[in-house]
Amino acid sequence: MKPLRKKDKPQDVSRRQFMTGVAGAAGAGLLLGQAALPAWADGGSAPMDSPATPWLASFDADGTAPEYNPREMPKAGEVIHKFEMEVTIGIHEIVPGIKAHMFLFNGSYPGPTIRVQENEWVQIDLKNKSPENHTIHWHGMMLQNEMDGVPFGTQWPVFTGQGYRYLFRAQPAGTHFYHCHVMTTLHQQAGLVGALIVEAKEDIVKKTFPYTRDYTLLLSEIDTNWVNESLNEMVGMGMTMNAMNNDMKLMGEMNGRMMGWFQDKEAFLKSIKDGYTPAYMTSMVGPNRVITPNFFMINGKSYPMTDPLLIKKGENIRVRMIGGGMQPHYFHLHGHDFWHVCQDGAPLASPVRMNTIPIFPGTTSDIVIQGTNPGSWHFHDHSDLSTTNNGIHPGGMMTMLMYEDAEKYGVTFKDVIQTNS
Amino acid sequence: MRTSQGSKRQTLRQGVALMGLAMISAIPAFGQAQQVPIPEQPSTAPQIEILGTGVATLDLGRSRNSTPDGGKASGSQINISDSSLVVGAAQRLYKGGIGSLTVGGLALDQTNTGRGTQLFLHQAFADYQAQSLEAYIGRTDQPTAQIVTFPTLRGDDLVTFTNLLDPFSSGENVNEHRYSNVAAITLNQKLTTFENFHVQHLIESADTSRGPSTGTGLNSYGASIQHLGLPGLEAVEKYISYGAGYEHRSIGRTDGGSSEALYAGGVFNLKPSLVNLIDLRVLDNYTFGSNLRSFRGTPDTFRANANAITAAVRYLHSPFGKPAYQVSLTAGYKSYSRVSQAGSIGLALTGVKRLGDGFDVVAQYLYQHRGDALATAYGGAHEENAVQLGFVFNFDTLFNRSVGPRRSLLNLQHQYIPN
Repeated sequence: MKPLRKKDKPQDVSRRQFMTGVAGAAGAGLLLGQAALPAWADGGSAPMDSPATPWLASFDADGTAPEYNPREMPKAGEVIHKFEMEVTIGIHEIVPGIKAHMFLFNGSYPGPTIRVQENEWVQIDLKNKSPENHTIHWHGMMLQNEMDGVPFGTQWPVFTGQGYRYLFRAQPAGTHFYHCHVMTTLHQQAGLVGALIVEAKEDIVKKTFPYTRDYTLLLSEIDTNWVNESLNEMVGMGMTMNAMNNDMKLMGEMNGRMMGWFQDKEAFLKSIKDGYTPAYMTSMVGPNRVITPNFFMINGKSYPMTDPLLIKKGENIRVRMIGGGMQPHYFHLHGHDFWHVCQDGAPLASPVRMNTIPIFPGTTSDIVIQGTNPGSWHFHDHSDLSTTNNGIHPGGMMTMLMYEDAEKYGVTFKDVIQTNS
Repeated sequence: MRTSQGSKRQTLRQGVALMGLAMISAIPAFGQAQQVPIPEQPSTAPQIEILGTGVATLDLGRSRNSTPDGGKASGSQINISDSSLVVGAAQRLYKGGIGSLTVGGLALDQTNTGRGTQLFLHQAFADYQAQSLEAYIGRTDQPTAQIVTFPTLRGDDLVTFTNLLDPFSSGENVNEHRYSNVAAITLNQKLTTFENFHVQHLIESADTSRGPSTGTGLNSYGASIQHLGLPGLEAVEKYISYGAGYEHRSIGRTDGGSSEALYAGGVFNLKPSLVNLIDLRVLDNYTFGSNLRSFRGTPDTFRANANAITAAVRYLHSPFGKPAYQVSLTAGYKSYSRVSQAGSIGLALTGVKRLGDGFDVVAQYLYQHRGDALATAYGGAHEENAVQLGFVFNFDTLFNRSVGPRRSLLNLQHQYIPN
């Protein structure tokens, strides 16, 4: 269980130490003058394996390498967290009256939050009980290639009735997520996404901002009409393939070209010469069908069904925000500034003060909100298209920062639920 | 009355517009729609569906299903009949049902209509659908024509075999056998078994013994039951659809009296396959109860007791799961139980080569043979041959997508939700 490489990480530095370090490094630079400059700045040449850098002393150029060798297997005595993930098709209600057929991990959308300690092992048994095929991609994890969940890239997709065991060490620490990587545009939008929280052994955020509550907000959107239409088509194709799998005569007709699968570029080009027409051709698909999301969700729900963030005066709360959809969102908190502390799981070199934070697809951002201004405050996407339900405002990605002790500080107005303006 | 009120309102609006030219109205006078029951409510934009079928062929020889023309029917022609354009509007209702309106016109065979191609209003109906029932009223497909469709080039090819014929039709417009004015309710179990109960006004164009008919009253009623397989799995399932029905037609005593009809049929895959599909379609139309023992003219051939059985074998080749070409043979045999020498057979050998999604080059050979009595009723034409070559373009496009199909795989397999 030897670490591949123990490194000096920013998390090992407390906020006070960090500030001192910055000042110290800057001061040293000023004092040392030319001697502190990297070799390339001095006219010399830097070796390829050790690039010269003008960054601060705390910067670790090798910092993106995994701490442990991803190809190692668990050793006796190591903790392995075991989970079962079952994919089915079910019904999810976004807001009252708006239901959608979706893929569900363990019957829920988003999928269950997986929370483990840094460097502990995670074993996930994926069982596919839906008529489509799936994988799980562990977004942000540094794991062995075969566990990355890319169909035809690192594994065969998991067909109906089949299973696949994922096993990886949870590294690096931070806020991450997981999603199906088969036809990602559809499968992720149709429900196969969830949060993966890897808790740091030494939590620099907690050290700096002792927080008592830890929220995860997974942001996503859905074009309910497109998902319904596409899911129907895919389920039909999946059931057809399953019927072929179960019939010896039909099995002989199985052909990757039906699904657009080819061994390599040469095979693809040969098929075109033989008369195959790719699905993306205008003659096959017609004018581009633009995906137009009509519902925007936080943890699978649109306002007014989103859950509030609760806080008390003087309390710090950590909010982990995950760009689990296809659109960027710009979350703005009323009445407060907050600290942006981590990006894509990793602590920032220094917390950044903001009141609106962009969350791009595939990214995660952790913020700390400090309970400084009792009341009931809106926290919402400031890209206002996303604060609608089917085009009707208010809705979508809106929630509230609610002080549980607001009345104690003279705030008596109760927020009123509104479904149209 | 609605039209009258609408015109009055429109005139008034135009008058106001003339008096106040400086005022710019947001609603132009010509945009005034017909009055509706609750006019003060703005309409929610519905889902719009446009379906089109263009069938254009060069016919060498001619096969006709309609009124004889003294043996002059033979000859070549450019044929665009059965081409149609249909527009539908649908929207979700408050409690999850679907309300829709469909209107469409279909081009008639010029030989059916005398001078110039005319459009026949074959679809104009309002429809309400909920999970367990559907109700529709208006001009649409005859309920008796919905059990099996055949892979002929046009829907009216071999119509005397494939359809329960309209006993009130003069025969000039063959589409009167396919479409009627219907009020129907269809119940279902799990959206797979459907029971249709309907009353109809079968179009009355024949010069009956009571004189030329202008009637619009109900003249037919019936019921049918049909089972439909899972949508999207037609290539791999064995039983695609099957059903049966009963129909009563109230025909005047001097025209043979009331006629009853029983019909049954289905579509079955002989060889389920995504690449080389072979299916079989079978339909039997059996009518009884008429007293006619001879034909006074073509309309009597639609009324007399008869049994028509039609079968089609179709081969569909789809090398990459997408249709490339299709060959089918449709054959029909019909006999009249009380009229001798009136048997007939019909054949259609149809080939379709797909050039693009929905666009096909087509070729069809049509043959019909009629017995003496039937040939006499058809102007003496015992044999008819036609070779048809041409193109077919089908499209079906949706705008404002907001209403998913009721019978979707998801609704059938994973609990119904209205969306």
